[in-house]
Amino acid sequence: SLPRPLDGDEEPRILESYPLNCHLRFLRLTTHTVPSSQSLLARWHLPLGAVVTPLAEVPEGEEVPIVNFGTAGVVRCRRCRTYINPYVTFTDAGRKWRCNLCSLLNDVPAEYYCALDATGRRLDIDQRPELSKGSVEFVAPTEYMVRPPMPPSYFFLIDVSVAAVQSGLLEVVATTIKSCLDGLPGSPRTQIGFLTFDSTLHFHNLKSSLSQPQMMVVADLDDVFLPLPDDLLVNLSDSRHVVDAFLDSLPSMFQNSANVESASGPALKAAFMVMSQLGGKLLVFQSTLPSLGIGRLRLRGDDPRVYGTDKEHTLRIPEDPFYKQMAAEFTKHQIAVDIFAFSEKYSDIASLGSLAKYTGGQVYHYPAFQAATHHEKLRYELARDLRRETAWEAVMRIRCGKGVRFTTYHGHFMLRSTDLLALPAVDCDKSFAMQLSLEDTLMTTQTVYFQVALLYTSSSGERRIRVHTAAAPVVTDLSEMYRQADTGAIVSVLSRLAVENTLSHKLEDARQLMQLKLVKSLKEYRTLYAVQHRLGGRFIFPDSLKFLPLYILSLCKSAALRGGYADVLLDERCATGYSMMILPITRMLKLLYPGLYRIDEILTKGTDNLDESLKPLALTSQCLDARGLYIYDDGFSFVIWLGRMLSPDIVNSILGVDLSSFPDLSRVQLYEQDNNISRRMMRILKALREKNRSSYQLCRIIRQDEQPREGFLLLNNLIEDQTPGSST
Amino acid sequence: MAADLSAAAAADPDGPDAVRLTWRSWPRSKVEASKCVVPVAASISPLRTSPSLVVLPYAPLRCKPPCAAALNPYARVDFAAKIWICPLCFSRNHFPPHYAGISEANVPGELYPQCSTVEYAPPPLDASPPPPPVFLFVIDTCLIEEELGFVKSAMRRAIGLLPDHALVGLVTFGTQVHLHELGFADLSKIYVFRGTKEISKEQILDQLGLAAAGGRGAVAAGFPNPKGLPQANGRLHPPGSVNRFLLPASDCEYTLNSLLDELQTDQWPVEAGNRALRCTGVALSVAAGLLGACVPGTGARIIALVGGPCTEGPGMIVSKDLSEPVRSHKDLDKDAAPHFHKAVKVYDNLAKQLVNQGHVLDLFASALDQVGVAEMKVAVERTGGLVVLSESFGHSVFKDSFKRIFEDGEQSLGLSFNGTLEINCSKDIKIQGVIGPCTSLEKKGALCSDSVVGQGNTTAWKMCGLDRTTSLTVFFDISPSDRSSQPGYPNPNLYIQFVTNYQHPDGQMRMRVTTITQKWVDSSAGTEELVEGFDQETAAVVLARYISLKMEMEEEFDATRWLDRSLIRLCSRFGDYRKDDPTSFTLHPNLSLFPQFMFNLRRSQFVQVFNNSPDETAYFRMLLNRESITNSLAMIQPSLLSYSFNSPPAPALLDVASIAADRILLLDAYFSIVIFHGMTVAQWRNMGYQNQPEHQAFALLLQAPHDDAQLIIKDRFPVPRLVVCDQHGSQARFLLAKLNPSATYNSAHEVAPGSDIIFTDDVSLQVFYEHLQRLAVQS
Ligand SMILES: [Zn+2]
Ligand SMILES: [Zn+2]
Repeated sequence: SLPRPLDGDEEPRILESYPLNCHLRFLRLTTHTVPSSQSLLARWHLPLGAVVTPLAEVPEGEEVPIVNFGTAGVVRCRRCRTYINPYVTFTDAGRKWRCNLCSLLNDVPAEYYCALDATGRRLDIDQRPELSKGSVEFVAPTEYMVRPPMPPSYFFLIDVSVAAVQSGLLEVVATTIKSCLDGLPGSPRTQIGFLTFDSTLHFHNLKSSLSQPQMMVVADLDDVFLPLPDDLLVNLSDSRHVVDAFLDSLPSMFQNSANVESASGPALKAAFMVMSQLGGKLLVFQSTLPSLGIGRLRLRGDDPRVYGTDKEHTLRIPEDPFYKQMAAEFTKHQIAVDIFAFSEKYSDIASLGSLAKYTGGQVYHYPAFQAATHHEKLRYELARDLRRETAWEAVMRIRCGKGVRFTTYHGHFMLRSTDLLALPAVDCDKSFAMQLSLEDTLMTTQTVYFQVALLYTSSSGERRIRVHTAAAPVVTDLSEMYRQADTGAIVSVLSRLAVENTLSHKLEDARQLMQLKLVKSLKEYRTLYAVQHRLGGRFIFPDSLKFLPLYILSLCKSAALRGGYADVLLDERCATGYSMMILPITRMLKLLYPGLYRIDEILTKGTDNLDESLKPLALTSQCLDARGLYIYDDGFSFVIWLGRMLSPDIVNSILGVDLSSFPDLSRVQLYEQDNNISRRMMRILKALREKNRSSYQLCRIIRQDEQPREGFLLLNNLIEDQTPGSST
Repeated sequence: MAADLSAAAAADPDGPDAVRLTWRSWPRSKVEASKCVVPVAASISPLRTSPSLVVLPYAPLRCKPPCAAALNPYARVDFAAKIWICPLCFSRNHFPPHYAGISEANVPGELYPQCSTVEYAPPPLDASPPPPPVFLFVIDTCLIEEELGFVKSAMRRAIGLLPDHALVGLVTFGTQVHLHELGFADLSKIYVFRGTKEISKEQILDQLGLAAAGGRGAVAAGFPNPKGLPQANGRLHPPGSVNRFLLPASDCEYTLNSLLDELQTDQWPVEAGNRALRCTGVALSVAAGLLGACVPGTGARIIALVGGPCTEGPGMIVSKDLSEPVRSHKDLDKDAAPHFHKAVKVYDNLAKQLVNQGHVLDLFASALDQVGVAEMKVAVERTGGLVVLSESFGHSVFKDSFKRIFEDGEQSLGLSFNGTLEINCSKDIKIQGVIGPCTSLEKKGALCSDSVVGQGNTTAWKMCGLDRTTSLTVFFDISPSDRSSQPGYPNPNLYIQFVTNYQHPDGQMRMRVTTITQKWVDSSAGTEELVEGFDQETAAVVLARYISLKMEMEEEFDATRWLDRSLIRLCSRFGDYRKDDPTSFTLHPNLSLFPQFMFNLRRSQFVQVFNNSPDETAYFRMLLNRESITNSLAMIQPSLLSYSFNSPPAPALLDVASIAADRILLLDAYFSIVIFHGMTVAQWRNMGYQNQPEHQAFALLLQAPHDDAQLIIKDRFPVPRLVVCDQHGSQARFLLAKLNPSATYNSAHEVAPGSDIIFTDDVSLQVFYEHLQRLAVQS
């Protein structure tokens, strides 16, 4: 069998040789080298590129330092606009500095002048984070603003058709938002607004002088207009009592509604009209298929005959150009869209998700949402979405030295020019992948520098530039490229490529392309070593890429790429695809090769060190013992598998009642019971969740042989097993 | 003094039938009728309350079709044969079995001679409670804070006065229309409509979720119907729709009051140099659409409070650009009012919709500038709505009038709904039409004349709203058949029957039947009989209404010339004189005041429209058309009372000579009441004599005109503007403008000390009369 990545992501040890580089949590290259020539690159076969998480969360004490140049202005290269960084060199007694990207000799601004020591180092280097750290944040002066920095602004677009009411969604959404109000970034400048809709649009007047909110219904879907010039998006501090009153009444406001329609398109237009002045985050809560007005969608994808034909991929892209046009408008006006989708039926995530795709947003999918089952997950994820530090009205550019060029970008953004990513909002949960190509000439330098610059408005209202700088050696040797290969980054780039491929090709083709890349790469490596060591015939791969085959297999078996029509519901496939486009490396690897742990022994006997006791198992049914209790964790959900012969004691302790009184385990909720087994169980879940703060694992329980749930939830995901619909 | 005035009022000039005719004797032929100059017309007040009115608790007997006249005192009854003969068509009708007991000694009420007017109040057909009245308020919010404050306090008072069971709805508007869903939980929920766009009734209903089954969101109205409110005559509309937007006053008083508390002036910014965007037209169509969906066929009124011109969307009367002035009479004359005809068309369609639904539009316009009364007139008048024009929502003309429509008991206006008037008359009489607050129901028949006046081509009219003062003017054509014009034709009398069905303020349907009879005269022999039957007051008012209509309908119509010629023709036909000898000219008392009426009519706001705005003219005309003869006459020729120490209050000549330093004058010009203190009186008052015990008589003198003014005001709707002024004061113009300029700066006469002169080039009554004499006697 193949080597198993049981310990998840393993960061390469680059920083030891490049201590001035930014931390790998911000920038990882697929191989920490740059090939010196086209011919060398041609033998690499894997993507050459990077995965960037510009706002990755940092442990306490490692915060990115903030630098204010004051009157000197931000020090940048005159020619290539590179920001000053630890790799620049000072000459001429400190009066000039040489750009590490383009080699231009720049004047040091008088205000920034400092003498050099004997070795040519500035004397103030220790007081200057921009000269000593790979990641810094510059406070941008006014010339970096086209308008005053916007306040954080959150606009909620909530489908209140009957499904939303009956599922209990409104209650969860309202109470969660209310509980987050104090934690929203940017107080006291934070802006907030709400628009609810069914067959009509309901604006909510939150004017601070009102004693209670006013609902203003606009039913002219063909010609949407605003019912008020102001007060639909208000300052939270000023209107707090009105916002509170609104959220208090939201759950009951539509309790008698029997409205099944959902005028999402017109609602989006309305939201745009409200937000376009300011920009901000638009959170869309969609409970059903958009059914009225512009952007109305139809049921599609229920025809299995489309699969395997040239038309197959069209199911996975928006059918109506409205959504892409809308997304373009949103981006232009600094609006980022997050989609929260809840329908139990088809709701065309492919179309809805494109709003998130081009605006730097995110797609959350809670199929068949029921408050009783899903409330904790939604509560957690919505709260994280609202509370996490967010960068507003941002643009990101990644520069690199001569000879190389970034050519393609993969993730959620809108490309504003050839290399400028428009990101109306961006946060720690968003990663971007990009691929490099070599310019025709041979590389003449020894080192190539990369600089990621994210220009954004902080929640506190400051315009800032976050700059990450890294260097990588130019190599002439393919084996060096292998040695410095970063499987995590490669898998992340490949996953995005694969998902993008499913938007223009059959699933089958997308999978084959991945396998082809893997095979070519391994062949190349074998050739390399067969020549060097005369090891013909053996299947070998470099240590740095030892998990790649299994990850590629996992990728092909992921919900985004697996099988065909019947294997994954279309919406779920698309939602997974959208998730994979933004996942940081660690989470991507966890999703592809989830953790599987046997815990019945820990439950009964306890443990001193939970981390050590939780031993990851191979993802194969051979690991499943009928006497055991297992947890499967892919970072988005838990599956708890109860073996057929598992002690009923354990089951009863966890569930609090006899298993036989739960004929339908799909409705079971886990709560802490008054016994040690249950307490340990909850502790394990908590520990696993703490390792993964970006989302909340929904917990589902299955019994061995409980079909079809067992297959659907777990067995199909044991990727090392041969499953139908996938080829290896 | 007050007693004198009420005694005068008690001598009701309209009589128990509330019918006044220009001619009480009718010429037999078309030719003779045309020689009468003044049209044969009747001014009727169908719901005027008379203390002697008999109300019968059953339905009337009707003559066989097509006549269908109700049994009346003029029918010949054969008690033995149990047969009655209809005086209008001479058909013989059998009394039905339940009349078996009648005899000479046991006559049913409708045959009592004094029951020429009688009201039938049959018991309702089913036991369900009568439908409640419906009040849908439509409030302009493009106002300054102060005006909105006035509106709010007027509304609060109105809400307090509404009967508990009345259904209430609220629309506010400015740049957009806000329809308030009063029945929505504890929250304020508003449906918003764009102000710029024409919106059909169907679209409105669809957007409100009130469309018939299959419409969008038809299932949206999930609100329970706690009180089992009437579902509008069982017509199909989704349950609960009524009490989403229209709630019993007792249930929504709190909601309405808190809505008013938070109601703000229109929030949309007004650019410099622009008027506020105000979409009155769309607001009214939304209101009409709502009523049409929720309460078709039951009595409902849209009460619109408008504070400025409609500047966007359908019904717009002027653009938002302030550099474009609101149209004037001159613009209308020159056809230079670009929005006028389009707007009138919009309101005409609204009128049709409302009439179809049986609903009323009341217009309370309060603004310094015009708001579009001229354009909206058609919708108000065709539905029988009320109209009040004032300068401000804080002015008593608005405040007190607005309050009155909600008042109960003796002060009640007796607002009734869903009236229809049917007229039936003897052969040889045809109906040309009606001027007044009604709409032709286009019920054509043999009785319809080909020459139409006002709402014609029908024998039935709809009055969505009517009250105890509502008056209509019916124009008749004399059109004898060949046979009846033969001498010796048997019937010397003519009969006209007015049948008014209406929804009484208590909600029940009632029927008022008035039958009148007049005699035919053969005027070829002489004019005495005709003159005996001439009612010069009615004639003056009918002519005023007639020329107002002609001025509206006919371009180039020269009212002054037309009136002059008519007056001369009338005087030449009915005056006593020797040909070509002006000094010999005299008029019968029944005609003697008529020239003065015409003199004042020529000078009145009805003919001299250029002194007023089109809105004011429209307002004056609407009231002229719907008021009683007495009140309408005051609009044409105000009454003047004089108060002095030496004599009791006495009518004074409407002449500048009536002004004296030691007198107080009380002018009633209907729209305004002026108390005018002579110079000396004013001085004494300023010195405070009235507060000194020894000058109690002066205090009484000062008080008397005020008491009398209050008596007039109390009884009038709209409440007139009260002007209290002093001789030579700036407000004195309100009196002077109405007086005969017998002494002007042109007069050769010496002006008596303490009297006044009027700065005008108008001819005086004396000069006018001299001209008339000369022209009337010309051969
Ligand atoms: Zn440079
Ligand atoms: Zn008859």
